[in-house]
Amino acid sequence: MTGFEQIIGINPWTALFTFCNMIITFLLLKKFLFKPVKKMIDARQKEIDDMYAQAESSKAEAAKLQADYEEHLSSARAERDEILADAVSRAQKREAEIIAEAKSDAAAIRVKAEADIAQEKKRALNEVKNEISSISISIAQEVVEREITAADHERLVSEFIGRLGEDYD
Amino acid sequence: MNGPKIYLQIGGQNVITQTAVSSFTVMVLLCVAGYFLGRNLKKRPGRMQVLTEKGVAMLYNLVEDTMGKHNSYWTPYIGALFLSSLGGSLIGMTGILRSTTSDISTTLTWALMTSFLVWGCTIKNSGLKTFLKGYINPMNIISDIAQPVSMAFRHFGNIMGGGVLMSLLYQALAAGSALVLDLIRSNGLSVIVAVAVLGVIVFLSGLKKNKLLLKIIGIALFVLAAAAALEYFGAFKEIPILEVGLPGVLSLYFDVFSGGVQALVFSLLTMVYVGMACPPKEEKQK
Repeated sequence: MTGFEQIIGINPWTALFTFCNMIITFLLLKKFLFKPVKKMIDARQKEIDDMYAQAESSKAEAAKLQADYEEHLSSARAERDEILADAVSRAQKREAEIIAEAKSDAAAIRVKAEADIAQEKKRALNEVKNEISSISISIAQEVVEREITAADHERLVSEFIGRLGEDYD
Repeated sequence: MNGPKIYLQIGGQNVITQTAVSSFTVMVLLCVAGYFLGRNLKKRPGRMQVLTEKGVAMLYNLVEDTMGKHNSYWTPYIGALFLSSLGGSLIGMTGILRSTTSDISTTLTWALMTSFLVWGCTIKNSGLKTFLKGYINPMNIISDIAQPVSMAFRHFGNIMGGGVLMSLLYQALAAGSALVLDLIRSNGLSVIVAVAVLGVIVFLSGLKKNKLLLKIIGIALFVLAAAAALEYFGAFKEIPILEVGLPGVLSLYFDVFSGGVQALVFSLLTMVYVGMACPPKEEKQK
């Protein structure tokens, strides 16, 4: 040590050292402190922002999905109602058809049965007529074979009529 | 108070002074601290990292508030300036090293750096022509000279003044304690004992009434008596007993507070001047 400087005096060497020290401090602090810390803060901030944005978008997506599902559900419900109504109407139609068919069938059967009956009746009548005629013929033969008295005549007629009734029963 | 000590003289020039050593020490301390604080940064920070990030974020906010968002990249320089200034002022409290900022060479260098930055930014942002046009009014030359000088002397004066006041206070307290101890000692052992007993009584009453001031006065009186006794029996000479306590409180203002305020003022002025020289892009186009 060789003494003291003046209290107020400019020392160019001190100024130079101060300048160099300042520059070195600035550069080193910038490299080792400010840049990494700022980078870290920014990175964290970005991560948080990203997370929020992601959460926001997920929420929106979920809401959209929900709306979609609800729409699908309601449309499915409508479709189901439509199908049901369709099926009911078709069934009713079919029912009516079946009933109508049955009715027409029944009517046809009845008509046929009536026709059959009429025909049978006709046939039976024809048979009766034939019988009658054959009986008449046989009676006539009998009459021709023997003398017929009035009493015989009467008896014959009533016999014939009685037989007729029997046949006709 | 003396100027900085001279450690090395070459050819009649004071090459290495106390300020240079202090400045170097501050630089090393700041860089080492910065290196260790900026190391091993994690996404989930520990305690130290939270503090570091808080400090750095505060600096960035300060710079962005003062200079605008576009000047955010100035933060490392402003931070280095602020920390160098604060560290340079506080390092004087070690007692071994002298505050770098109580040397006008340091503050003037920083102020001139600010001025050169302002000039450089003005030329870069508005062109050499506009820069030179500003000097058509010669008052601007005066203001450009006055600006670094006022900045330098403001910072230097505050820290230096604080140092001078503190050293004056120490001298005054040393003289005062010599006076008081002489007064107690020269009247014989009985006065010493009386002062000691008085101190104990005051302390005990302070203890009873739970009054801090009485306790302190009691202890002070007792310590005074003890110091006087030590001098009486010739164990020590000229104990500057009054220098205990009071300078600590004042040092808190003159060294810590003043150092912090001046560092902030110096950085703020630098930010304002440089910020005016670096306007936002839209304004530049007008």
